[in-house]
Amino acid sequence: MRRFLATVYRIVRKDLLLESRTKSVTTTMAVFALLVVLAFAFSFVKTFRNPAVLGRGALWIAFVFGGTLGVTKTAALENRNGALDGMLLAPVDRSAVYLGKVASTSLFVFAVNVVTLGATTVLLGYAPTLRTVVALLGVVAVAAVGFAAVGVVVATLTVRSGLDELALPLLLVPLVVPVLLAGVELTAALTTGARTGTWLRLLCLYSGILLLAGLATFEFVVEE
Amino acid sequence: MTSAPRTGRTRAATIRVDGVTKTYGRVTAVDDVSFAVDAGETVGLFGPNGAGKTTLLRMLAGLVRPTTGTISLGGSALTPDDHTIYRTIGVVTHESMLYEDLTARENLRFHAALHDLDDAARRCESVLETVNLAGRASRRPAEFSHGLRKRLSLARALLHRPEVLLLDEPYTGLDQRSVADLAAVLDTFDDRTVVLTTHDLDRGFDRCDRALVVDRGRLETDVDLDGSSAAAFEAAYHTAIGVDDGEEGR
Repeated sequence: MRRFLATVYRIVRKDLLLESRTKSVTTTMAVFALLVVLAFAFSFVKTFRNPAVLGRGALWIAFVFGGTLGVTKTAALENRNGALDGMLLAPVDRSAVYLGKVASTSLFVFAVNVVTLGATTVLLGYAPTLRTVVALLGVVAVAAVGFAAVGVVVATLTVRSGLDELALPLLLVPLVVPVLLAGVELTAALTTGARTGTWLRLLCLYSGILLLAGLATFEFVVEE
Repeated sequence: MTSAPRTGRTRAATIRVDGVTKTYGRVTAVDDVSFAVDAGETVGLFGPNGAGKTTLLRMLAGLVRPTTGTISLGGSALTPDDHTIYRTIGVVTHESMLYEDLTARENLRFHAALHDLDDAARRCESVLETVNLAGRASRRPAEFSHGLRKRLSLARALLHRPEVLLLDEPYTGLDQRSVADLAAVLDTFDDRTVVLTTHDLDRGFDRCDRALVVDRGRLETDVDLDGSSAAAFEAAYHTAIGVDDGEEGR
């Protein structure tokens, strides 16, 4: 178990080191996410008077589409020079490779959504309380894990099978719809003070299912 | 010319391929191939482009699962699920398996960590010396020529002191000097079992003890190169793939 966790840590550390040098994943995601918020600001701010509704809409649309770009970039990074094969040729459990990739991708998605949340505050006037922000970041963190869990599998599948990048959103977005719905509903509930139990359970359960499904299928996705 | 697999070598690692077939949809990339490689032997998989050499090598590396048939290493069946087998295999393919934005040393340290080597730092420096890249350890592969990348890739494959080395087209794209450098490195591990793919008959002949000629996925012939002349091997090769001398392909 210790070796398994050490492998996960080493892969996350490698991804963070690479990202600290290139900033390619987070920059791509952040630019796209900020464009979404900006488009919302220009389109709706003068005509639509409820910043909370605008803010949560922009946040979760940016989450899905920015995240899709992010997983595409991370899969392409591992495909370049056959780097993923290098990890598969090491005496490590392939589940550890999968979890390492999920962990680093989750961190990137989460970090970009912190920035997106800030942008919705500045550009859309969405101003949740500090307590709501903390709870919302927790929701984003769980959603990021669920998104990355399925995103890593689908992105690896599309890259290794030679499917065009166009196939990625077609395969990925339907699978993350429950995450998106739960995220939107939880954001609304946190803002209005409504009960969050059902949606929170759904988000955690569905993210857990995606993670288990990813663990079960990653071996077959990377295998030729 | 055709030989049975040789026996009697001293080291334990032996590769055995029994009735291996790999199909992709309707395409049969490797068709019912069987052979054995004794410990310490250097065997070349020869054949024209698209013959199935790389698929066969990737199956030996556990990166491709055979559709039918079995592959064993040192008596243990090789399956992608058994990751411990990778302690004994080092693989160099036409892709470097390196990260462009990590330095040569960082790339090696990452792989050394995945192999859980006790003496990772020292071992990385040692293999960098072996492939003559110690002076470039702080540079990134993105700055390397093809030959330097190949050497770094070889260093990665040697990190964990594998008993079996699998080399996919090691000479492709290398200039004369890089080939000589690579040959010098390969000379230093004569005691290891090596399987390499190539369509370079001259270099393959120089390097290998045995040649397996593959064409259209099938193993056409198994040639013992010890005591054979280059001309005789070339003739046997061209007969096996069904073309006249010097007219490879169809």
